[in-house]
Amino acid sequence: MGLLTGLKDSISRVTDRLFTDEQPKRIGIYGPPNAGKTTLANRIARDWTGDAVGTESHVPHETRRARRKEDVEIERDGRSVSIDIVDTPGVTTKVDYEEFTDEMEEDDAIRRSREATEGVAEAMHWLREDVDGVIYVLDSAEDPITQVNTMLIGIIESRDLPVLIFANKIDLDEASVKRIEDAFPQHKTVPLSAKEGQNMDEVYDNIAEYFG
Amino acid sequence: MPHQCTNCGHTFPDGSKEMLSGCPDCGGNKFQFTPNSDRSAEDGADGDADPETPAADSTEAEADGVASRAAETVRGWVSSEPTDESAPDAPEPPAADRSTASAGTADPQSTGDSRGSDPTRNERSTSPGDRDRASDDEDDSFTEWPDSARRPEDRSSPSAESTAGNVTDDRTGSELNSSDHRTDPIADASSERSEPDHETAAVADSEDSAQASARSEVVPADDLPTGSDAAGEGDPITEVDPIDDGGSEETPDHGRVVSEPSGEQPSIEELRAELNEQFESIKILRPGQYELNLMELYNRDEYIISLQEDGRYVIDVPESWHDDADE
Repeated sequence: MGLLTGLKDSISRVTDRLFTDEQPKRIGIYGPPNAGKTTLANRIARDWTGDAVGTESHVPHETRRARRKEDVEIERDGRSVSIDIVDTPGVTTKVDYEEFTDEMEEDDAIRRSREATEGVAEAMHWLREDVDGVIYVLDSAEDPITQVNTMLIGIIESRDLPVLIFANKIDLDEASVKRIEDAFPQHKTVPLSAKEGQNMDEVYDNIAEYFG
Repeated sequence: MPHQCTNCGHTFPDGSKEMLSGCPDCGGNKFQFTPNSDRSAEDGADGDADPETPAADSTEAEADGVASRAAETVRGWVSSEPTDESAPDAPEPPAADRSTASAGTADPQSTGDSRGSDPTRNERSTSPGDRDRASDDEDDSFTEWPDSARRPEDRSSPSAESTAGNVTDDRTGSELNSSDHRTDPIADASSERSEPDHETAAVADSEDSAQASARSEVVPADDLPTGSDAAGEGDPITEVDPIDDGGSEETPDHGRVVSEPSGEQPSIEELRAELNEQFESIKILRPGQYELNLMELYNRDEYIISLQEDGRYVIDVPESWHDDADE
């Protein structure tokens, strides 16, 4: 099994490399739950394709399956960059349905929780197999130094994937971009509010530069 | 037969990873998990699977209750952590004892109820004298699995159910002729034993005084390993201490000798705990509550794509889509 899997992996990697010029890069939008990943994915998709990617919600784990928006063409300074955006379920080490019981029936909360867990497994699998670059979205109003963030960014670094850190929700009073910059000084941090559309020009500049 | 293909019924031994590449018979990728023991407590969740329960003798009688559960658990500890921190320097047990121990490890189902504690005794770092005494007195068979015989994170909860705790406390007390014979686990947890055991100072933070007292007859404190957690990693038997997942945050310093979750029926939670041990990537605490091991999820070729609360799970088998494609 290991041999077969290894073979499969190397074939798919070779294939990836062969077509890398023709195929848009798959950029995974990763981050903890409720950081605004789907809001960002929708913002990008709407800005450049007119469609949305997924449903946004204030309840964590709204996105429980990875969703892809293909061939998003971003134009910067006369040149165009084509990417596939993969909006992933928020990654966490704990999922508890009781977080949602205020919002929905217990059965639904439990189902949501299970799906969210499966979603995390899927997101981790995608990270390993299917993304060429990562946009790591953080809520600027939250402490960025968490086990999940540290581990995920560590994994991303270990794979040598290009990564941009997006300090989202700068419209919030408690937002602190500096806290995020200080936490991950080795990476470029871009402040933005996906919800309000703040600083999106810089966002697209950086996407084009990093993933173009 | 902890793992069973839900399609063709092919069973896999506990600890097997064979099913991760799909069922060798039918290629199915849906399995259910059935623990070795405690079948009676599965809330009927797995009722449709394999009605004969090899280990039913260990749980059928609530009358045996505490003792059998205790033995069961001990066996679990022993089989999964044969070289835990106080054990490695223990004197070699006699050959006969060793075979008992290995039998218990290899086949938990065949081990009787109270005899299940024998391996524990043998694995523990007691003097030959202690062992003899223990053999003479059946009650003492439970005195040899104090907290320090387990990893800190597995140690007993001070607030554990008191019925079993009392039983084991009593035994410990008589074994050690301890003057402060206690029955209150809480009080016990909050204060170290008062009996003198200065010789154990060096390892005081990793063993309680009762344990130290027994151990010190044989092994000087200096000889104890400073820490070992390699135990049990490769051991296919993962009979899980039922307090394991809940008690993992317990502080190791408390001097509780034993905490047995009473005669309470082992439950679906135990089943989940066992499954968790097998895959280590997703821990189902209860329906709707999960803990995820991100590194494991990331590192595995296969991953669980569907969790079902009755111990069933569907995995993504990397090769299976080749088969699908052919069909």
